Amino acid sequence: MDAPFFKYGLFSDDASLLAAFLIGGGFGFFLERAGFGSGKKLASQFYFRDMSVLKVMFTAIITAMVGLTLLSQMGLVDLSLVTLKETRLLANLVGGLILGVGFVIGGYCPGTSVVAAATGRIDAMIYLGGMFAGMFVFGFAYPTLQPLVESTSMGQVTLPVFFHIPYGILVLGVCLMAVGMFLAAEWGEMKVAGVSLESRSLLGGKGLTPARMVIGGLVLAGLVAAIAGDPYRGSKATVDTKELARLVDGKADHILAPDLADRLIAGDNSFRLIDLREPQEYARYHIPGAENIPLPSLDPAALPKDESYIIYSDGGIHGAQAWVLLKAHGLRVYSLFMGMDGWKDEVLNPVLPAQPKPDESAVVAKRLLVARHFGGTPQTQGAAVPASTVPVPVPEPARVPAVPAPVNPATAPAPADAPPAGDPVPKKKKREGC
Amino acid sequence: MTDTDVHPPQPHMNPYLAGFGLGLVLLTSFVVMGWGLGASSAFATCSATCVAAVAPDYAAHNGFFSEYAGNPLKDWLTWEVLGAIVGGMVSGLIANRSRLTVEHGPRWSRGKRLIFAFAGGMVMAAGAKIGGGCTSGQALTGGALLNLGSWVFMFSVFAGGYAVAWFFRKQWI
Repeated sequence: MDAPFFKYGLFSDDASLLAAFLIGGGFGFFLERAGFGSGKKLASQFYFRDMSVLKVMFTAIITAMVGLTLLSQMGLVDLSLVTLKETRLLANLVGGLILGVGFVIGGYCPGTSVVAAATGRIDAMIYLGGMFAGMFVFGFAYPTLQPLVESTSMGQVTLPVFFHIPYGILVLGVCLMAVGMFLAAEWGEMKVAGVSLESRSLLGGKGLTPARMVIGGLVLAGLVAAIAGDPYRGSKATVDTKELARLVDGKADHILAPDLADRLIAGDNSFRLIDLREPQEYARYHIPGAENIPLPSLDPAALPKDESYIIYSDGGIHGAQAWVLLKAHGLRVYSLFMGMDGWKDEVLNPVLPAQPKPDESAVVAKRLLVARHFGGTPQTQGAAVPASTVPVPVPEPARVPAVPAPVNPATAPAPADAPPAGDPVPKKKKREGC
Repeated sequence: MTDTDVHPPQPHMNPYLAGFGLGLVLLTSFVVMGWGLGASSAFATCSATCVAAVAPDYAAHNGFFSEYAGNPLKDWLTWEVLGAIVGGMVSGLIANRSRLTVEHGPRWSRGKRLIFAFAGGMVMAAGAKIGGGCTSGQALTGGALLNLGSWVFMFSVFAGGYAVAWFFRKQWI
C-alpha cells in the first residue's frame, strides 16, 4: 500500500476536493453526534460540569495516533509524508491562550461553530461572522504581529524527538495519560456537577461497557505500538516533487558560498556543516567547522530532524543529489552552491577587479577580508594581491561579521564555467560518479 | 416549538464512541490525504480572497493576505468545511437537534450572548492565526501526530479557557 494516497499521486487535485467534502462530512457528523453543536455543552467543559470536550478530543487523538503509528510500523503508511506543522513555541503558546479565552467568550471553536450553525444555533452564525471579521482585522494587523507569529521557530519537531523517547513508548504514554485524564474528568463531574455514573462512563456500569471496550482496546493497541519499533523505519524516502520544485525554484535549496562565509564568520552555529567528500580530501582541506560524512555512509535516519544542515561536495552535483536524498527524509537541508569549487572561487580565491568602481569598492574590500580570514589568496586579473597593495580603504576586521548585505552574485565576477545564479545545478538522481 | 414535545431531541452519543468515530475520520484523512483536519484556515482563505479582490496591491504586500488568497473553490479546507456543514446538518436532523435558537445561561440575555459570540469569534480568529491553527488543525491533528507545538498549543487553550472561565460564568451557568 502506498499511503498517504494523495502524496503518492494516486488521485488528482480535483478528486482531493471530493475527498475533502467526504472527510469533512464525517468530521461534522461526529462533532454533532458528540453534542458539539451546542455552545452550552462546549462551555460546560470550563466549569467542570460536562467534560465531553476532553473525552471526545483525547479519544479522537489516541485513536488516530495509535492507528497511524501501527499502520506506519506495518509499513503501510509512510509517516514521514504526513504533514507536520512547524513548531513555533511562543506563537503556539500565545495563540493557544488567546484561543482558550475566545472559546469561553464565544462558546465555540471554529470547527464546532460550523456544526452549530448548521443545526440552527444563531449565536454560532454570529460567531462565524465575528471570526470572518477577525480574519480581516488580523490580516491588517499582520505586519505588526508577523515577528511574533514567525518567532521561536523550531522546524518540525515531534515529542519523541524533543524528549528523546522512542516513538512507540510515547504513544503508549499518551494513551495512559488520556485514561488518567478520563478518570479524573469523570470523578470531577461526579463531585462538581453531581453527575451520576452511568454505563457510558469508564467508572460506571458493569462488565465490558462500550466505553471500556473502546478505551481498553486503544490502550492494548498502544501497547503493541510501544514494542513494534520505529514507525519511521518504513519511510521510503519519497520525494514530494511539487515541494522540491518549489524550493528549487525559490532558491530555497541552496546557500551561496559568500553567504556561508558570512555565517561562519558571525559564529552562527544554528546549522551543521557536512563535508560529503572522501576522508583524504577532507583531511587535505575542508571548510572550517565542517564534519566529514562521506556520501556512501550518509544515513538520513541517523541525522536528527530538529537540526539544519548545509552540505557540500567537490562541485555542485553531489551536494545537490544528497540534498534530494536528505530532503526526501524530511530534513532541513541546504546544499552549498557549486560545492567546494564555489567556496574556492567565490570565497577563498576570488578574482577581484584591480581598480574597482567606487560603488564596488566596499564589496571588494569585504571579499578581500573574508578571503584572508579563511586563509585564501584573492586574485586581481590573474595575479595574487600582495597584502600591501590593497586598493581600497579596508574596514576594521571586527566589523566584517556586522556587514549584513551578502555579496550580490550578480555583481561578483563569476567563474566562466559556472551556471548563472538563477539556474540551479541540475538535480538528477540518475547521474552517478563524479 | 410543539415539534420538540412530539419529537424530543435524542441524547448525545457516548463521548468515547463519538471520539472514536472522530479519530477514525482523522486517521482516514492521514491515510488518504497525508494531512489532518482543519477549520480556521478556510475562513482565512475567504477573507484573504475578498481583500485580494478589492485591493490586490495591498494584499500582495501583506504576508497574511498574500499567503491565504486563492480561489476558495479550489481550496481543500473550504470543501472540508462545506462537508462538515452537511455532516453536522445530517446528524442534527437524525437526532432532532436542529432548531433556530440561541444558547445561553439563565442569567444572561440573548442580546449579550450574540455580542459575546461575535467578539469571541474575533478573538478566536486572532488566536488561531497566531497559534498556527485551531482546535482542529493544531490540537486534534497535531496532537495525534505528537507534534511538540500542537501539544503546547493544546494545553495553552485549556489554560486560557480555565483562567478566564470564572469571569464569564454568568453567560453559561
